[in-house]
Amino acid sequence: MAAPLILAALAVTPIVLAGRGGVDLSVGPLLGFINVTLVKWLVENDYASPIMVIAYVVAAGVLYQIVIAAIIIYVRVAPIIVTLSGYLFLSGINLVVLDRPSGVAPDWMLDWGSGISILSPVFYGLIIMIGFWIFFSRTVFYQQIVLTGANERMAFANGVNIAGARFGAHIVAGVFTAAAALAYTALIGSGDPTQGNTYTLSAITALVLGGTSLAGGTGGGLGSILGAINIYLITYVLSTYNFGTVSGFVTQLSTGAILVLSLLVNSLMNRRQ
Amino acid sequence: MSKPDDSKGNVPGRTLLSQNVVFGIALLLALSAAASFLVPGFVSYTNIRSMLLLAAFLGIASLGQTQCALLGGIDMSIPYVIGSSNILLASLLNWGVPSFPACLIVLAGGVVVGILNGLLSFRLQGQALIVTFGLGLAIVGGSQIVTSIGSVYAGTVLGAVPSWLRGMSSVAGTTFGLPIPPIAIVWIALAIVVVTVMSKTPFGRSFYAVGGNRQAASRVLISEFRIWVIAYAISGAMSAITGMALLGFSGGGFVGVGEPYLFTTVAAVVIGGTSLLGGWGGYGSTIVGTLVLTILTSLLVGLGLSYAMQQAVFGLLIVPIVALYTRSPSLRDQI
Repeated sequence: MAAPLILAALAVTPIVLAGRGGVDLSVGPLLGFINVTLVKWLVENDYASPIMVIAYVVAAGVLYQIVIAAIIIYVRVAPIIVTLSGYLFLSGINLVVLDRPSGVAPDWMLDWGSGISILSPVFYGLIIMIGFWIFFSRTVFYQQIVLTGANERMAFANGVNIAGARFGAHIVAGVFTAAAALAYTALIGSGDPTQGNTYTLSAITALVLGGTSLAGGTGGGLGSILGAINIYLITYVLSTYNFGTVSGFVTQLSTGAILVLSLLVNSLMNRRQ
Repeated sequence: MSKPDDSKGNVPGRTLLSQNVVFGIALLLALSAAASFLVPGFVSYTNIRSMLLLAAFLGIASLGQTQCALLGGIDMSIPYVIGSSNILLASLLNWGVPSFPACLIVLAGGVVVGILNGLLSFRLQGQALIVTFGLGLAIVGGSQIVTSIGSVYAGTVLGAVPSWLRGMSSVAGTTFGLPIPPIAIVWIALAIVVVTVMSKTPFGRSFYAVGGNRQAASRVLISEFRIWVIAYAISGAMSAITGMALLGFSGGGFVGVGEPYLFTTVAAVVIGGTSLLGGWGGYGSTIVGTLVLTILTSLLVGLGLSYAMQQAVFGLLIVPIVALYTRSPSLRDQI
């Protein structure tokens, strides 16, 4: 059940690592966009073979991220503003494509989300993507991203292709967002134009909980995975208590409090070093 | 792709600032002209009054955001403080607290939340976005728990709103016989005070000093800590005022009233031309940004676009507007 969140948190990680205030506020709506267009455009027109679907979602995620990266790098507008516009644009478009939760996931995906056993296809997909992340984080290219985030001028002066590193970070983010959208579609088994938006803030929360600094350069994917699992467990544990009508508010209160506390702990530990 | 910006980008001076304001006002005039041409009834008396009212809500909410942005901070708790003060005021009134003290309690609450935001995010300035968001989430969760004790309707508070508060923010409201809603007068008064204080007093200038260069500011004995906390306290207070005014507007407490202000306050600041990196801009520019947003919304509604399409168009427009005048210099120029 935590798969979409883990993948979304991994998607934001390289962008944040690459620094200069890089953050992707639009990851949630992008997830939603892939979800609704998959259900509306592909399934309803019978293009729902596994290869078509996977090709489409990856292409959609990567193309969107390339556009965003090009605006950030060449037009040089702050990432928070660009991705904020992306958030507004996509969350509007999602409602235009699908005005309310409806539609069905591709046939071959329907039994994925039933959750009878842990070893579902979603789980295998998650393992594959985490494997991909581990491979990615061993590459020289990943080190260049981290270097760019840690000290951009130094990286530039030492011959790192800054623009290339940023582009690459966004492309990897697109692939992971696509995977998150697939997992999400499998889990809910239909299309939902608004719920995807909530993933933006929970993914960033997971990332921060996992110890990645929003200033860039420090942190990593493993932390984001653990952070996402933590958030999932917190919501799960809270939902087992019976708070009646206020249960949603208790979750809000505790999520906010945990977020602030973990940031404070993080900064205290950094200062001690 | 305007080239002159590149050379001036890292030495923002007076010329660039006035360039932004001129550009904003030109945009405003162009939008108004387009709207009055395309949308029948745009220049009607009622439409202008209702736009003024909506601009006043957004304008007051963006005041605090501007102060934070001047320091390079951002306040993401604004929508949550607006929602919380909205339902808290409704509950306080329901519990029989007289309206004047109730407003003061809520205002004080807003200031306290703002100060907390400032204290917690001071050491984590790069992460102010997520600190204020987390705190806002905690506050809104807490206030919903408090207000829904003994109530079956979670998240909404029904009850009588005193008539003076209704009059404050009603489209048909009048101030001393003038046909302007009182909240708009409050906004204009606040604007005059803020713009004067920011440009004429040492206290106001110290915001620019801290935002522009922290080291230089501390050398001339400006306390960065004090200014940072004050900016967030102002933001909390303004959000509380907006929340209370919105209660008068809608007549019932609803925690979701703040939601639209999450991104629109940031958009108003940015469209006005205040840099989110701090140091230059100001509330005068934000007012232009607020008016641009309000007129644009009115235009889009008038053209018959759905809420979803409006959002999409907003998203498409923000980047080009911002790109026209707040591009950062390229890395080659920074080394």
